[in-house]
Amino acid sequence: MDIKGLLSDLQDFYTLSYRGLLGIVRRPFYFKDAMIQMDYAGAGSLVIVFIVDLFVGMALSLQLSAELSSLGMKMYIGMIVGISVVRELGPVVTALVFTGRVGAGMASELGSMVLGHQVDTIRVFGFDPVKKLVTPRIVSSLIMLPALTVIGVAVSLLGGYYIAVFVSHQSGTFYWSSIRKILTMENVLAGAIKPFIFGYLISSICCYMGLSTKGGSVGLRQSTTMAVVMSIVMIIISDFLLTRVLLYVLGFSV
Amino acid sequence: MIVFDGVSFSYGSRRVLRDVHLSVGFHERVAVLGGSGEGKTTILRLILGLIKPDEGGVLIEGDDITGKSEEELRDVRMKFSIVFQEGALFDSLDVKENVAYCLREYTSMSEEEIDSRVREILGSVGVEHAIHLMPEELSGGMHRRVSIARSLALGTPKMFLYDEPTTGLDPVNADNICRLISDLSKDGRGFIMVTHKVSDALKVADRFIFLKDGSLLFDGDSRGLLHADAPEIRMFIEEITYQDRAAERTPYGGEHV
Repeated sequence: MDIKGLLSDLQDFYTLSYRGLLGIVRRPFYFKDAMIQMDYAGAGSLVIVFIVDLFVGMALSLQLSAELSSLGMKMYIGMIVGISVVRELGPVVTALVFTGRVGAGMASELGSMVLGHQVDTIRVFGFDPVKKLVTPRIVSSLIMLPALTVIGVAVSLLGGYYIAVFVSHQSGTFYWSSIRKILTMENVLAGAIKPFIFGYLISSICCYMGLSTKGGSVGLRQSTTMAVVMSIVMIIISDFLLTRVLLYVLGFSV
Repeated sequence: MIVFDGVSFSYGSRRVLRDVHLSVGFHERVAVLGGSGEGKTTILRLILGLIKPDEGGVLIEGDDITGKSEEELRDVRMKFSIVFQEGALFDSLDVKENVAYCLREYTSMSEEEIDSRVREILGSVGVEHAIHLMPEELSGGMHRRVSIARSLALGTPKMFLYDEPTTGLDPVNADNICRLISDLSKDGRGFIMVTHKVSDALKVADRFIFLKDGSLLFDGDSRGLLHADAPEIRMFIEEITYQDRAAERTPYGGEHV
């Protein structure tokens, strides 16, 4: 492996992600570009997030129902589904869906703009490509991924409710009261911080990979694939690290 | 004046330009010729500061741009109007928005004024009727014309830079683009046109530069180019001779009567 090249790439990535984030508070502001990206990332991802999170919630509830019924503890389905979804599965699954749909789109769009000299054109016209292209995508991810996560969590809990009540024959009222009990500030914070970090990671990685595209259609394929793979790996790793830190900060004992 | 002072440039391990010394006045009509991968487009990118030379300096009006930041380069870039290969239009925007791109950012024109200015510019390059079309709906020739129109939107550049403006076009459209390039330089503004089509270069340029292995193999006028001895240049010239001969034959190879 070329260590020098790797370090240079890491430095470029750091610079791009830092400047992209800093662009949020520095003039000029490209509100229209950010709105277009938010529409693509948010409204466009709603259906797929809905479907995936619904079935994840249902599958989780089904698995727990099968296991807990043999122990005679089916009444805990709501609590376990709630904690799993709010703290862990909701943010992670929604981020993975977001990577597949929005992140891949960012990388391929920016990559084809590089190959078609559109990024060069933006530079020649005097625009900063990071402010014009990267910052609106970071803004849209920082706003829309948390919003989608809230919707995803709600839909997952609804899926869990359906299985608990209509398949496992538990009380719906008891299910929702269990959910209400686990919606403490600590649990909500443990899940709510993650989508902001994931959104920043996904948009930075995918924009960097897209803007680094070289070598025609094969290069575009490689950069898009790398963007998705790197984002997924970073989501999983950062999820573990965040969980470790948040559990400590929020006072959970392990 | 654009000056290349001992410029060398590499893409990775591939050396594209080697110790190039070159001076071009803003009024000159220059064609840069050469085969694929010989560094023709690299010259345009170096002039605009889109890439930095590995060695040597690029001077624009006596000012070395190699160490300049993106902010500082903005003023340098505004002196030029570039048309990239295949137009490089923003494919998510229609023709009007492509041409109005800089107007919206750098001027405080009203919507009516922008519309009027865009129509005026599109009219000057003969594609006003395409104002509401998307880039994918344009033919190759229209694509280049809109790209030229977009590059004119902000004002009057000192010099035009064209990257393969006629590549991929049929002879009629290529001829129309050459005519447009020639018309735009009638007021004394020069251009640098990168191309591998000698026949198109001969229609519009006065000075010809031929690149080979990263160095200038030829730098002179059309007479010198047509009588050059270098085999690499002869191959390009023979392409025109072949086209001329082919034009004298019928489609099946028989001679015209």
